[in-house]
Amino acid sequence: MSRLQARDVVRSYGPTPALRGVSLDVADGEIVAVTGPSGCGKSTLLHCLAGILRPDEGAVRWNGERIDTWPEAARSRLRRTEFGVLFQFGQLVPELTAAENVALPLLLAGTGRREAGRAAGEWLDRFGVGHLADVRPGAMSGGQQQRCATARALVTGPRVIFADEPTGALDTLSGEEVLTQLVQLAREQGTTIVLVTHEPRIAAYADREVMLRDGVVDPTGLGLDETLVPLPAAGPGTDPR
Amino acid sequence: MRPGVALRLALAGNRTDTVRVVLTALSAALASLAGLAALTVLAIPTPPGGRGSNNSEQYTNALLREPGLRGGTAVALLLLAVPVLALAGQCVRLGAPARDRRLAGFRLAGATPGQVTGLVAVEAGLASLLGTLAGLGTYLVGRVLLHRPDARGLLPLPTDVLPSPPVIAAVVLGLPVLAGLVGVVLLRRVTATPLGVVRRTRRERAPRPWAGLLILAGPTAFGLLAPINRWYADRAQDPPALLEPALMAGGALAALVGVVVGTGWLSYTAGRLLHRWGRGAAVLLAARRLTADPWAGSRTLAALLAAVIVGAGAAGLRASMIADMAANRATGQGLAGGEDFYLNTMDLVDRAAQLAVALAAGGLVVALVEGIVARRRTYAALVASGVPRSVIGRSVGWQALAPAVPAIVLALASGLLLIWGVAGRPRTYGAHSFQVCTGDAVRCADPSVLRTVWVPEVVVTPELPWAQLAWVGAGALVAVLVTVGVGLLFLRMSTAVEELRTG
Amino acid sequence: MSTSHVLLGLLAAGNRHGYELKRAHDTRLPRAKPLAFGQVYATLGRLQRDGLVVTAGQEREAGPDRTAYALTDQGRAALAGWLAAVEPPMPYVTSALFTKVAVALLVADLNAARSYLIAQARAHTDRLRELTAVKTAPSTTLDDVVAVDYAVAHLDADLRWLRTTLARVADWHREVHP
Repeated sequence: MSRLQARDVVRSYGPTPALRGVSLDVADGEIVAVTGPSGCGKSTLLHCLAGILRPDEGAVRWNGERIDTWPEAARSRLRRTEFGVLFQFGQLVPELTAAENVALPLLLAGTGRREAGRAAGEWLDRFGVGHLADVRPGAMSGGQQQRCATARALVTGPRVIFADEPTGALDTLSGEEVLTQLVQLAREQGTTIVLVTHEPRIAAYADREVMLRDGVVDPTGLGLDETLVPLPAAGPGTDPR
Repeated sequence: MRPGVALRLALAGNRTDTVRVVLTALSAALASLAGLAALTVLAIPTPPGGRGSNNSEQYTNALLREPGLRGGTAVALLLLAVPVLALAGQCVRLGAPARDRRLAGFRLAGATPGQVTGLVAVEAGLASLLGTLAGLGTYLVGRVLLHRPDARGLLPLPTDVLPSPPVIAAVVLGLPVLAGLVGVVLLRRVTATPLGVVRRTRRERAPRPWAGLLILAGPTAFGLLAPINRWYADRAQDPPALLEPALMAGGALAALVGVVVGTGWLSYTAGRLLHRWGRGAAVLLAARRLTADPWAGSRTLAALLAAVIVGAGAAGLRASMIADMAANRATGQGLAGGEDFYLNTMDLVDRAAQLAVALAAGGLVVALVEGIVARRRTYAALVASGVPRSVIGRSVGWQALAPAVPAIVLALASGLLLIWGVAGRPRTYGAHSFQVCTGDAVRCADPSVLRTVWVPEVVVTPELPWAQLAWVGAGALVAVLVTVGVGLLFLRMSTAVEELRTG
Repeated sequence: MSTSHVLLGLLAAGNRHGYELKRAHDTRLPRAKPLAFGQVYATLGRLQRDGLVVTAGQEREAGPDRTAYALTDQGRAALAGWLAAVEPPMPYVTSALFTKVAVALLVADLNAARSYLIAQARAHTDRLRELTAVKTAPSTTLDDVVAVDYAVAHLDADLRWLRTTLARVADWHREVHP
């Protein structure tokens, strides 16, 4: 059985439905891309899976336990220990140095300041930004900030990384570099990744792509109106390059 | 740029900007009222005659009747304007991030730094002008409504005099000009660059404790009062009318600025100490914010500290008065009937200080909430990554209290010191004799009937008003705590996941 | 792109014989279609005929004939000229994808064109994922990454075109069959 599981998840913002019954199973160590056009509910699905949002209906299970019924404190602890989250921007605390930002989750877990600082330094090194340990986010480029944020998401050794458009604010090269490093580390450590993106070339980093459309999983996988799309027999007609 | 365009651009804001304009106008109105009231008191003509016979007998209140007391009354009224102005200063920060971006946008669109500076000045100046005009209107209406002579034709308030028109014009027009200049100074960094956000990364030089000198300048100015009066008395002259109020106002202002600037140093030092010795994520977050922007504490606490200084000064004054009264009772001299009057006056001053604390708490809420809302995205991301809200709440608490507690103590000490240098001295009463005669005037003409009474020496040392100081400090602290509480409510809203939506 | 220019480029680094040229080609252009021996020798013969390369001695060591080739000045000039010339950016819109959809609309119905587009998009997506996986593999060299990047960018562009065309195919069909 998969460790991370969503069953018929429904979630609305006021009268606007964002998810209208989505089920998703993510296997251990799998990298899944959740794609779809703007407003299809992909971020909401990620937030529900990560225990940030509670679904209105349906269930979210982690290790077979229904985390959607847990109180906020317990879900916070889960996000801090077993999960790591990565957003488009704005996640680093501007007043803290890079090393302090990365050390933050460890400090919250009760690790001593020196030990947390050392671990943070090692992770920054792995992402090639070790020389920026004492620099504040405001003095870094977007790519450097995102590397720090990735280091912070990984510093606690999480089982799952939830990444919401992690390369959205970066140029192509920086985005690919950050993502390549993230995926390499995840494969090396068997970490699961749930990756939300609207770009096919970013989704291609995943093992599997799940497309949402208007709050449900799109069976065509192309984000098209199902009534228009005849489901063809499998098998490519022409070899792609 | 045509004036019409300048006006349109200056008023091109959102709802927060409207609130800021209204609050600016309101504080300008209050400040102009205080200023006009003070000037009215100073405008009361002094009838010719020597000391004691030159009272303006048309008033019921001794504070207005006696020329010697009017200077102090005017200064007290002016000092009331200080927390109001400090509140106005805080309101300038309201909606500042959005406005900074807008102004930077003007620069990006090709406006010169001078034009943007002009816009800022126009906005602040216009809002203040509205306020001072409203203040003038209120003043003019008020002096008609409050003109109520009692049965003997005596007036409770100086509604029969008006400051000279140029003086009124100076207040009504001068305050807006001042407000415009202050606005320009506060935004000088933004107007300098089309990329308004650049200043985030700028590392300010660490504050240094030079503010201590300013704080000491306050009591020094007050301490000069007695020698100056003595100097003029020795030459049988009256000191220049404005010298005393000017020294008092200048001294109080120096102490206030000193305390406010000193709070920057306190914030920075508190941040460094917390970073060095503190444990845990909440303390680390608070410490880094304090060192990153030490002046935030100065800005947010300015009004509160002004109120605390006034409150502490009033406490010192009351202690001094109580000592005088005790001495007078012991020596059986005057003032007996006036005790109530003086204590009532002090009660009034205390009320004013309490009002100022309340006003300041309002400003504090504005500043704190503004700070939290401006950082909502970071907070929301932290909560999403599993940082408990309580940790962020604790860091907000640390960040507010770590500089506030020492700053309040500093303000209490400075306010007391202002007064205590003069009022806290032990004084000697009695040690003189006078002659008493019982009988009518004819009988008393005979010197042998007179009895000489020796008044024993009484030395009175005013007691430090610990209790009242504690109350003032506690009041201020409660104001900060309440503010933090309100801030935490907003924190909950600002950490909603919706803030993370990338659109 | 012509094989002859690649061979001229490889010879610019020093004299080599046919087998070495084939090996060098496959290493430098890792994701290209591998070069056949026959093609190497045919091309070398043509280059020699045009005076761009000359034979530079033979070594015969218990095996096949090994003739080394060297670049001539004329060959060097031809290489420099080719390198300096800017490729015309897409002078004609020719693509198997585009042509096939156009023809499908002419001879078949709307659904056939759609089915083709969908199948093609799926194949493109799969290939995109396959190539991206190469980039994140630990043993990948920069040669690989640069080659894969080229393919990824083009596949990505094709995919965008496929999706836009899927959305437009109905209108297109109406235009073809009024």
